[in-house]
Amino acid sequence: MNMELSTIIQMVLVVFLIASAIGVSVTRNLFLAVIVFMGYSSIMAIIWVFLESPDLAITEAAVGAGVDSVLFFLTLKKVHALKGTREG
Amino acid sequence: MREIIAAIFIIAGILVFIVALLGIYRLKYVMNRMHAAALGDTMGLGLVTIGLMILGKDVFHVAKYILIVLFFWMSSPIASHMIGKVEMLTNKDYDERVHGK
Amino acid sequence: MNEKKTFWQHLQAWVNGEEAILHADEYIKKREQPHQKRWIKKPNMQRIKENKGLYWFLCVLVSLVFITIMLLVVSHLPTFGQPINPTNNEVMERYLEKGIEETGAINFVAGMILDYRAFDTFGESNVLFLAVISVLILLKRDKKNINAREDRETEEDERFDRSDHKSILKIGAKYLSPVVILYGIYVVLNGHLSPGGGFSGGSIIGAGLILYAAANGHEAMRRFFTFKTFTLISVGCLLTYCGCKSYSFFTGANHVGYEIPKGIPGNILSSGFILPLNICVGLIVACTMYGFYALFTKGDM
Repeated sequence: MNMELSTIIQMVLVVFLIASAIGVSVTRNLFLAVIVFMGYSSIMAIIWVFLESPDLAITEAAVGAGVDSVLFFLTLKKVHALKGTREG
Repeated sequence: MREIIAAIFIIAGILVFIVALLGIYRLKYVMNRMHAAALGDTMGLGLVTIGLMILGKDVFHVAKYILIVLFFWMSSPIASHMIGKVEMLTNKDYDERVHGK
Repeated sequence: MNEKKTFWQHLQAWVNGEEAILHADEYIKKREQPHQKRWIKKPNMQRIKENKGLYWFLCVLVSLVFITIMLLVVSHLPTFGQPINPTNNEVMERYLEKGIEETGAINFVAGMILDYRAFDTFGESNVLFLAVISVLILLKRDKKNINAREDRETEEDERFDRSDHKSILKIGAKYLSPVVILYGIYVVLNGHLSPGGGFSGGSIIGAGLILYAAANGHEAMRRFFTFKTFTLISVGCLLTYCGCKSYSFFTGANHVGYEIPKGIPGNILSSGFILPLNICVGLIVACTMYGFYALFTKGDM
């Protein structure tokens, strides 16, 4: 076992990435899918930092975890798919 | 010596994060989960950042960490407040659930 | 819960939070029944009842074939970061050796996307602008795209906005959104010196604008950002980009001289056209982000 620590951390992160990607496509609850997709984007941002491209990491964190989720939530509100709100 | 103190702070912060995660998994209601999540956002992040501040090279490193902590300590309570407000406004049997009738 | 539990079962139940609830047994039964039912339940066969066996067989077959092809391709790829990889050719050597000298930017990525590959970035900015225009065509609320229900909802939202001024969210957004926008401006202006640049900084500025608009409502936003501002900024930035790059292509290709001085690498006013191009891209991206938000929520800007 002469792996470096960063390699092990990257492997764990990639496993989480695959798990959240499968989770997004499997889950039936659309709200939950958007939340899991936010987690996917955050993990992807950390992996970009490990791959030495901080430009992409900043963009991924701002767009993927911030603006994209807001737009997805607005779309869900637009098509009345959010449970428990005014539209039911 | 500096590294050891920093490591103690970071490990304590990660332990607090683990406790917060366990709480989020174990508790079942939104309000209880919020209480567990706030622990990680305030105390866990604060301890980890103090550890990283001890490891920092110059004043600007430390100042950046202080800015990160300030940003989190301003934004996280507001987010929790909004979650609680939405739960209070939309849950029909809120009184029954919270006050345990 | 009369029977004895082992320590491990006890711990498992504690972690799952089952002992925290009174009448835990009924609760667990009630909770696990639909869970188990969902795993056993057959999927809806109404639409595919003619050939359901073939359907499942083909699903699994196609997935397996694709997974096999992808894994084979990945196994034949060269290892990441090796010096003999085909990506380490003369183009990369040229960028790394003469990048600072030719573009004047310390951040190689900014030098690459805004100097060597400036046409790419121009196309991407145009794609963003076209995306906002398409959303505008689809979602803009005018005479023909209106119904009573949406009208009522918009009115309720506005009444809700006006009813609680000085709430916690508004005070928080008042102090946080300037900080977020300031950080975005810093990332844009330092695009040629540190990681970041037009796209990252622009999306951070857009997130700050979305925060302000979500907290304070569209009435407060309209005081300084209307549809006219949006068109002016977007078209102006695209035309500025086009003009700058046309100038530098023309003078560079014809060897006219009159090149933009590169300055000392490391200063904030250096690296020729990269700083104004970064500002242009950042403004376009920020306007695009806010435009999406405004069109999705209100159907207007």
